[in-house]
Amino acid sequence: MSKEIYVIDDNESKEYKYNIEEDTIIYHFSINSSSNVEINLDKEDINLYYYYNNINYDDNSFNIKVNHNKDNTHSEVYNHGVNVSNNYLTYDVEGIVLKTSDKCICNQDNQIINIKNGKSTIKPNLLIDNYDVDSNHAAYIGKFKDEYLFYLMSRGISKKNAYLLLLKGFLINSDSIDLNKIDKFVKEMNKI
Amino acid sequence: MLEIKNLSAKVVDSNINILNKLSLNIKEGEVHAIMGPNGTGKSTLSKVIMGHYSYEVTSGDILLDKESIKSLDTSERAKKGLFLCMQDPTVIEGVSNSEFIRTALNERSLEKVNLYTFIKEIEKSMEEVSLDNSMLHRSLNSGFSGGEKKKNEILQLKCLKPKYIILDEIDSGLDVDSLKVVCKNINNYLKDNKEASVLIITHYPRILEYIKPDYVHILSEGTIKDTGDMSLAKKIEKDGYGGYNE
Ligand SMILES: Nc1ncnc2c1ncn2[C@@H]1O[C@H](COP(=O)(O)OP(=O)(O)OP(=O)(O)O)[C@@H](O)[C@H]1O
Ligand SMILES: [Mg+2]
Repeated sequence: MSKEIYVIDDNESKEYKYNIEEDTIIYHFSINSSSNVEINLDKEDINLYYYYNNINYDDNSFNIKVNHNKDNTHSEVYNHGVNVSNNYLTYDVEGIVLKTSDKCICNQDNQIINIKNGKSTIKPNLLIDNYDVDSNHAAYIGKFKDEYLFYLMSRGISKKNAYLLLLKGFLINSDSIDLNKIDKFVKEMNKI
Repeated sequence: MLEIKNLSAKVVDSNINILNKLSLNIKEGEVHAIMGPNGTGKSTLSKVIMGHYSYEVTSGDILLDKESIKSLDTSERAKKGLFLCMQDPTVIEGVSNSEFIRTALNERSLEKVNLYTFIKEIEKSMEEVSLDNSMLHRSLNSGFSGGEKKKNEILQLKCLKPKYIILDEIDSGLDVDSLKVVCKNINNYLKDNKEASVLIITHYPRILEYIKPDYVHILSEGTIKDTGDMSLAKKIEKDGYGGYNE
């Protein structure tokens, strides 16, 4: 079993630092907030899953830095944001693998959906000083595809509910998230 | 009755005309087939009927039971009983198959669908289309094989119980056994729902051996060029579409 951590930011600006020595899943839900996250993977053979899900209205940024300090450490970082208004949203995502850390896996998936004409930016950075690393990053900024809405609506789902299904699938992107623990976030999502 | 009257349609914001004064009437309980060369507007016709965002109707009308549906959005059309099995079903990450179908069902019925009954019924339907139960909890069509996607469309059809069914190349990508399973499900559906009608878009007469059409139409250059019965489908298989191109 992995250790699970839930974090909810609500209109605030915060710093987080984790020194991790066991398999860990962090669910970080953010409502209109900025945050700085630093993670140190300090033990060999451990896995980190980081789910950052964010609803944004004003100008905000999210910085996350994952340091692979030991051999065979594995990180999967999923950053999903919905930028609701026309403001700035910036993701700065860093994965750092030291020269001395062998056989690491370091993956990032960054996506921001602009509801209107938000000014969203994703800066993915992989600083890898070791040849034996498996690493991938994906980035998408845009709207929900019309094709998705068409398919959902073609089964009689209204536009509003189709949007809600897509939002939910995007922002609550793991089956293991306990909805009871993120009540506030779910309520906020239903307002979009 | 589904009536398509002198329908012309183009790609939105362009001058690419695809459908050209196309007319077609499908009455309750009838099975129609449309065949035609690649790129002549078959899928476009099915999407225009469904109100797809890429196309604009430039003239003519589409009526369901004498009522124009031209001004309705896609979901309203579906609620009136239209159902399109797509040639290439969309993959949507994060939205589970079961949540998708349940949301669609909930919007149709007045009371909320009971979760237990829903699971029981859908598991039975999945068995009938020979899809594994685990597919219910996976993201919509994500990682499904070509054949599984087609079966998943039929599963939705069985749950949503439409009156006007359009099958756009449901037979493509299905192996011999899967084709039989899919056709059996459609035939059973038609037996249980006498008022339901079907429009089958296909390139191959084989599916028409299983689901017997009352009419076979040839669509070419955006319009219906010929109408006949099963013998027309056989003739096309033998001779091709050479005779229909000017
Ligand atoms: N959104 C679009 N933008 C531009 N061209 C389009 C668009 N949609 C369809 N077309 C064109 O319209 C024509 C008809 O396409 P359609 O998909 O309806 O063909 P089809 O008869 O279903 O062919 P197939 O048998 O290969 O499935 C094609 O030439 C296609 O390229
Ligand atoms: Mg087609």
